[in-house]
Amino acid sequence: MQKIMIIEDDPVIREELALLLKNEGYHPLSPSDFTDIPRQAQREHPDLILLDIGLPGKDGFSLCVSLKSSVKAPVIFVTSRDSGMDEVRALSLGGDDYITKPYNIPVLLARIKAVLRRGARGGEPDIIEAAGLRLDLTRGTVSTEIKTVMLTRNELQILACLMQCAGEIVSRVDLMENLWDSQIYIDDNTLSVNVTRLRGKLAKLGMADLIKTRRGMGYQL
Amino acid sequence: MTIVEFLSDRLERLVLQTVFAGAAALFLLLTGTQPGIVILLGIGWFTVSFWMLGVDFLRQKARLRELESIMEGLDKKYLFSECIPRPRNNYERKQQDLMNRAGRAMISAVSDAQAAQREYREYVESWVHEVKAPITAVGLISRSADRETRRKLSKELAKIEAYVERALFYARAESPEKDFIVRETSFKSIVVQAIENHRGLLMENDVRVETEDLNQKVYTDEKWAVFILGQILQNAVRYRSDDPAIVLSGRSLGKRVQLMVSDNGIGIFSHELPRVFDKGFTGSNGRTRTGATGMGLYLSRRLAECLEIDLQITSEAQKGTRLILTFPAKDNLTIL
Repeated sequence: MQKIMIIEDDPVIREELALLLKNEGYHPLSPSDFTDIPRQAQREHPDLILLDIGLPGKDGFSLCVSLKSSVKAPVIFVTSRDSGMDEVRALSLGGDDYITKPYNIPVLLARIKAVLRRGARGGEPDIIEAAGLRLDLTRGTVSTEIKTVMLTRNELQILACLMQCAGEIVSRVDLMENLWDSQIYIDDNTLSVNVTRLRGKLAKLGMADLIKTRRGMGYQL
Repeated sequence: MTIVEFLSDRLERLVLQTVFAGAAALFLLLTGTQPGIVILLGIGWFTVSFWMLGVDFLRQKARLRELESIMEGLDKKYLFSECIPRPRNNYERKQQDLMNRAGRAMISAVSDAQAAQREYREYVESWVHEVKAPITAVGLISRSADRETRRKLSKELAKIEAYVERALFYARAESPEKDFIVRETSFKSIVVQAIENHRGLLMENDVRVETEDLNQKVYTDEKWAVFILGQILQNAVRYRSDDPAIVLSGRSLGKRVQLMVSDNGIGIFSHELPRVFDKGFTGSNGRTRTGATGMGLYLSRRLAECLEIDLQITSEAQKGTRLILTFPAKDNLTIL
């Protein structure tokens, strides 16, 4: 399990963030004593540090410098200061990313994942397999044992989302939010159109009825 | 200063002098002085008076021109009384003393006002900074609520955030010190952040967002540009039609780059178009739809001016509105 150290002085945010990260499968560390953060970090060897800039009595920027010299973990600044000046300063001091509060939770998690992935070798598999289909995210193709078809970006994202939750019902709103996360901004009608096109392509693979419409609930693979 | 203006200042004295000279000439003639001598005296008197008047006129004109050029060259006009040349006589000195006193009172009033504004902005900035912590906390806590409640909460939180953001940028725009930072960024980065900030609003209203050709590089303050674009997106949603769509597209104009935001909303009447950037102007659309404050476009224009972005609007009632942001070329930026 990857360890994430949360350095945050607001107790509510600290606890909730720890809970969120725990639910996401990380091992959160949330010290409430900020006197010797670098030493604590050295002892715990976190894989990532989430650092608030406005700590009591201590400036997050100088803390980042001492953290960077004592541990190798990447640092993400999480702060409510949002001037460009602060961001430039944070990144020039060796911060790996800079997120402003209030953050969108999926975005925060995505950034954490991205920074962790950058540090680790390999990375996520870009092939998803489910329901007898093989989805190649880098090539944008979906194939069965026999045949392969090309997908558009929208179709690819929709199918990836459905295949990741194979068997479960994915609501239209969740599907749309997922697409928005991938910078595809579609409305309800466009989603229907794309799902219809996707069904057409899957029919070419002989899997016409793979995506089931669950009226009032969403789609299911 | 024209010669007529100069003479009209001295009209009284000139009339008096002429009357006196006439009376003197009459007296001399009556007491038996030869007319030739009287004429000679008259010519002498005229020459001397004219000479003095002419010198006076030229001097005054030169002095005024000098003062004008000092005023022209001054960046802060209220410092004028501190910069004028030394007085030439006692009367001028006394006058300048008074002017200096007035000027100093003005300078201290101005610097007090600036300090107050700076303090106010600093207060707003720290307040915004503080209020973001509980907003973040509520966002995190709402995760434990059920899906429906969470969606509603995050919608309301997004509204709070938008209001807070606007207060922050209002304080920044009205402040005499502009602390933005111009860096290389891209339309894509600006557009993605602005959409992300308003995704709840856009999704809830089922707005289709299309982006075209956003790979242009641009030199500007990203945060400010994201805010401006956010105001435009909010307007596009507020004044939407039944099947709302927004198209964001970029294009290069030589060294400058242009970002266009077009919607298919209810548009703006042409007679109201010239006033949409005025502070507090809401127009007939704003009166029929809730939430209009008349601040969004006003602030956008103010901030755009600071960043040297040209912000233009075109619209057709019932068809849609298009906002065009033209970003300056890097070489032409004076704010770098």
